[in-house]
Amino acid sequence: MAEAEKIEVRDITRIERIGAHSHIRGLGLDDVLEARAVSQGMVGQKDARRAAGVVTQMVREGKIAGRCILLAGEPSTGKTAIAVGMAQALGTETPFTSMSGSEIYSLEMSKTEALSQALRKSIGVRIKEETEIIEGEVVEIQIERPATGTGQKMGKVTLKTTEMETNYDLGNKIIECFMKEKIHAGDVITIDKASGKVNKLGRSFTRARDYDATGAQARFVQCPEGELQKRKEVVHTVTLHEIDVINSRTHGFLALFSGDTGEIKQEVRDQINNKVLEWREEGKAEINPGVLFIDEVHMLDIECFSFLNRALESDMAPVVVMATNRGITRIRGTNYRSPHGIPIDLLDRMIIIRTVAYSEKEVKEILKIRCEEEDCVMHPDALTILTRIATDTSLRYAIQLITTANLVCRRRKAAEVNTEDVKKVYSLFLDENRSSKILKEYQDDYMFSEITEHDGDESVAGGGAKRRMESSGDAQPMEH
Amino acid sequence: MSYQNWINYLKSAEKNSIVSGRIRKVLYKFADGQQMSEEYNMDTGIVQRRAWRKCKQLMGEPEWEIELGEEPRQLNWSANKTNGAGDSDAMAGAEFTVRESNTAPLLTKRITKKNIEWRIRNMPYPLDVYNVKAQAEKRAIVVSTSNKKYYKVIPVPELDRCGVPPQQSSITVHHQFNTLIITYSKPDIICEMEAQVLMLLKDVETETSMDDLLKGLMAK
Repeated sequence: MAEAEKIEVRDITRIERIGAHSHIRGLGLDDVLEARAVSQGMVGQKDARRAAGVVTQMVREGKIAGRCILLAGEPSTGKTAIAVGMAQALGTETPFTSMSGSEIYSLEMSKTEALSQALRKSIGVRIKEETEIIEGEVVEIQIERPATGTGQKMGKVTLKTTEMETNYDLGNKIIECFMKEKIHAGDVITIDKASGKVNKLGRSFTRARDYDATGAQARFVQCPEGELQKRKEVVHTVTLHEIDVINSRTHGFLALFSGDTGEIKQEVRDQINNKVLEWREEGKAEINPGVLFIDEVHMLDIECFSFLNRALESDMAPVVVMATNRGITRIRGTNYRSPHGIPIDLLDRMIIIRTVAYSEKEVKEILKIRCEEEDCVMHPDALTILTRIATDTSLRYAIQLITTANLVCRRRKAAEVNTEDVKKVYSLFLDENRSSKILKEYQDDYMFSEITEHDGDESVAGGGAKRRMESSGDAQPMEH
Repeated sequence: MSYQNWINYLKSAEKNSIVSGRIRKVLYKFADGQQMSEEYNMDTGIVQRRAWRKCKQLMGEPEWEIELGEEPRQLNWSANKTNGAGDSDAMAGAEFTVRESNTAPLLTKRITKKNIEWRIRNMPYPLDVYNVKAQAEKRAIVVSTSNKKYYKVIPVPELDRCGVPPQQSSITVHHQFNTLIITYSKPDIICEMEAQVLMLLKDVETETSMDDLLKGLMAK
């Protein structure tokens, strides 16, 4: 028993992988939505952040459906960072779906289906439901497993409250839950009768003096009163998409976990919309509209844009935030050019937030934050050089150099990254500019270099050559 | 202090009735989505069973909740008890999540001409252990045990429908054959209400069950 407890209380520090935006914890605004210079991992972009703060406020109030916000700006000016910041500021209660524009080109479902699923994933519904739960303190628990190791397990548990005591038989599925939650005698637990979910509330006070090793995180609770089986009102937060999936397939819940949802019929969606509205009127449910963030929105084509036009008009639409780094460019799927590669009629429905290039000071600040995030101690001189590199090449390249420089520094068993390390990695890894310069110089030595000049033009028939000239700025793939 | 609301509620429902053997079964479909099913003994005019089907929020088939009468006994105990009757053989394995062990106390309710009766089976303790109290503020009868083995709040929906609080003086308690029997003598207003309901059901058309017809044919 004591051994088992010891294993249980071993503290597990959560290890999270560091992502490109993992240093962002919010928008860095104060109470009156003024942007602080450096806060919650955000640096600079004061106007854009303030605007994003207004948008989050709009989402929080949840009154307005189907607004569209475009974050426009040059590459690496923090568009995605602002979106991540918005997601963090909204908290876990508000659904925030993040997708990239190219995600809709899946072979398994049509573009519009992917878009409407994304839209519906961003609308949360809080449903109050009465369920039957069993709440009590575990007096005794017996789990018998067959000697062969496989086959049916048998389980029995005795639960008690201050007033009563009952024996329960346990099914196979719930035995696994019990083992996973590591439930022992003396724990106060709840069992949801319908779903079979087991939840450990803590240890009973009466067992507080038992001699066993309990960790600091062990919580002591009172033994529940009254009856073991109670009806309790619980609040589920689900997204419309989840309700769709559950209702569209015969295997119901399982489809959610297998991820195999396929297309959902429009009739099912309409029915669910009506049902949800009905629940809202009866006060059983609350609609909690969230945010859909579409990165690289210029990757969407004209069909998607016209679909969005209509979808945004529905009163069940979330707030859509889009981001693009393109200027005036071809709308995908047409030969027309438009600002940001988005049709004018959709642009007209948007409010546009602009991000501007970072100043040198801000770049330094960002690099400092990233150094902290990546657990790298950097000498101020090295940081200055890195800032210089960032302004000359790109911020992303400079961020790449942080961890690499840190590794080089560790190779020579130093604790702090100095200028030499940064110089070394700068020579080891090429940035985009230097790489393309080398390419231009030694083009003839690379394979297939002869095609680019002559055959390339011929492969694009007729007016294609002209189109190629026009769209030389944007590296979009040609539409068939 | 009136059952008029209840009568109106029943009146508003869409009613179906069928006779099977000496039992008349009535199904009420209410406008708010709830369903109620009753079984009347045709000899005595007494409700033997009553069950509710309340609509569920999210998904799935709603289950029947038995207010009155015994649950249909199942031979294979392994089948999921909460799922009611039906799909029993298919899930002979341990498909259930949790259920009370078969030695746990089991509460059933029964209505007779004069009384409402509750039987709690599997209760081995002597009579002086039990404490049965009518609690007006909970609108229920509370059974507790001095050895802290059993505790149950028993709501009395019939009294609620008449708007009458439960009274301690109407309760009598017996204990024999491992069973605790609580008897509550019906106040006049309940008898009156039941008579009214029966009058209401007189107008509901009844169809004879196919089983009976077939049985009759087989006999010939």
